Amino acid sequence: MKTILLKEIKLNFKNLLIWSLVVGGVGLACILMYQSMQGEIAKVGDAFSDMGSFSDAFGMSTLSMATLAGYFAVEVGTVHGLGGGMFAAIAAIGILSKEEELHSGEFLLSLPVSRKKVVAAKGICVLCMLVAFTLICGCLYALGFASMGESLPAGDFMRFMLGQFLMNIEIAAVCFAVSSLSGKNRMGMGLGIALLFYFYDLIGRVVPDLKDYLFIGPYSYVNGAEIFSGKSTPAAAFVVAAAAIVCGAVFAFWYYDKRDLAS
Amino acid sequence: MGNAIEIEHLTKSYGKNRGVIDVSLKVKEGDIFGFIGPNGAGKSTTIRSMLGFLKFNEGSIKILGMDSVKDHEEILRNVGYMPSEAWFYDSMKVSDVIRYAADVRGLDCSEEAAKICEKMKVATDKRIKELSLGNRKKVSIVCAMQHKPKLFIFDEPTGGLDPLMQKHFFELINEYVDKGATCLLSTHVLSEVNKYCRSAAIMREGRLTVLDSPKIDDDTFLKFYEDE
Repeated sequence: MKTILLKEIKLNFKNLLIWSLVVGGVGLACILMYQSMQGEIAKVGDAFSDMGSFSDAFGMSTLSMATLAGYFAVEVGTVHGLGGGMFAAIAAIGILSKEEELHSGEFLLSLPVSRKKVVAAKGICVLCMLVAFTLICGCLYALGFASMGESLPAGDFMRFMLGQFLMNIEIAAVCFAVSSLSGKNRMGMGLGIALLFYFYDLIGRVVPDLKDYLFIGPYSYVNGAEIFSGKSTPAAAFVVAAAAIVCGAVFAFWYYDKRDLAS
Repeated sequence: MGNAIEIEHLTKSYGKNRGVIDVSLKVKEGDIFGFIGPNGAGKSTTIRSMLGFLKFNEGSIKILGMDSVKDHEEILRNVGYMPSEAWFYDSMKVSDVIRYAADVRGLDCSEEAAKICEKMKVATDKRIKELSLGNRKKVSIVCAMQHKPKLFIFDEPTGGLDPLMQKHFFELINEYVDKGATCLLSTHVLSEVNKYCRSAAIMREGRLTVLDSPKIDDDTFLKFYEDE
């Protein structure tokens, strides 16, 4: 299993590096641009904070973009939330199905290793990639704060990054389950799942009737504005996240073990 | 001598489509068993059921005295399989693929792998994506043989190999079989069955018939491929 895990990490390393550096790099660039855009941001923030439910959707009614923390929560929160969700989906949705799509499944599964161990190795690989992605992006954001001479709001920042990590695992678990279903890489579906969750949260914050059901989506507990303004997250959101992760992983193990594999 | 393969009443269907029907087969240890039949007859379905790629509906399969479902991992430890389509990970080097197959088995097969690579003229420094079908097949042969398994299962192994490599391939099989291994050879090539196999069976439309002798003439052989 260790050999399969190491091989998977090696095969996915380039993908991990590109996504981490692009998402983290864009976040870092946003932070570095803060000073030069400070005046405009304050005006934009004031304008957006008075737009009712749209201000709520982007968190601008609760947090001032005139501070670096507020700007980070709104701008980088969106970049990292979307980028991280998409990366998690892409990493997980092809990891099992690629063996059949690329016809390497017969080679792999003719080696003395059970399908459960293959699923475990690939699941751990996705988890390792998400840990690395979160660490690389987190370091780049911290570097941004340091280079701006601003102290990092450590507690909120940690809560934000850990929440993002959990959200990434939740999306990955859903996509991992989908990956066990077929022998085709459904990258489009993976991206669709990530975007669906994102827009569900966005629309849920605009439409009053949906606000009570926001906790169903994984983006409900990673809203930067809420985290950086000290608002607590409903426990139900974490319960749903835990349930989705467990169900996704258990389904992948169960289904991949019982189905016929294409040649 | 015991049986290396014992299949009893194997039935596998794909939804409403036929796979194999009530297949029973015994392959003795030390045999080179020819497995012939037209495309879509069910040869690969039988092989893929033996190796656990397919979940069969009815029947039982014993490989080397072990149950194919319960002892799946242990069976694969003692089997060398070469699929008809030899695919690996495109970006990996040939040497890495061969070492990877040995590493998953927890074995150091470098000496045997080097011997087979030399005999089969495998370019170990190339990447998989640079290889032709024939050269990928050679890599597959190394991966199937380097751990000196007790049972070889080859699914149309010689397609894409040049005549000299085909000769070397069968020399290797004979060498391993002389040392006690067993070989199941699925093929469309009559000369291979006549020349190398000690017993044979034919599959047609999902059903299996064991032949009295693997020595068959062209006309009889081609009749197997004609529509019933």
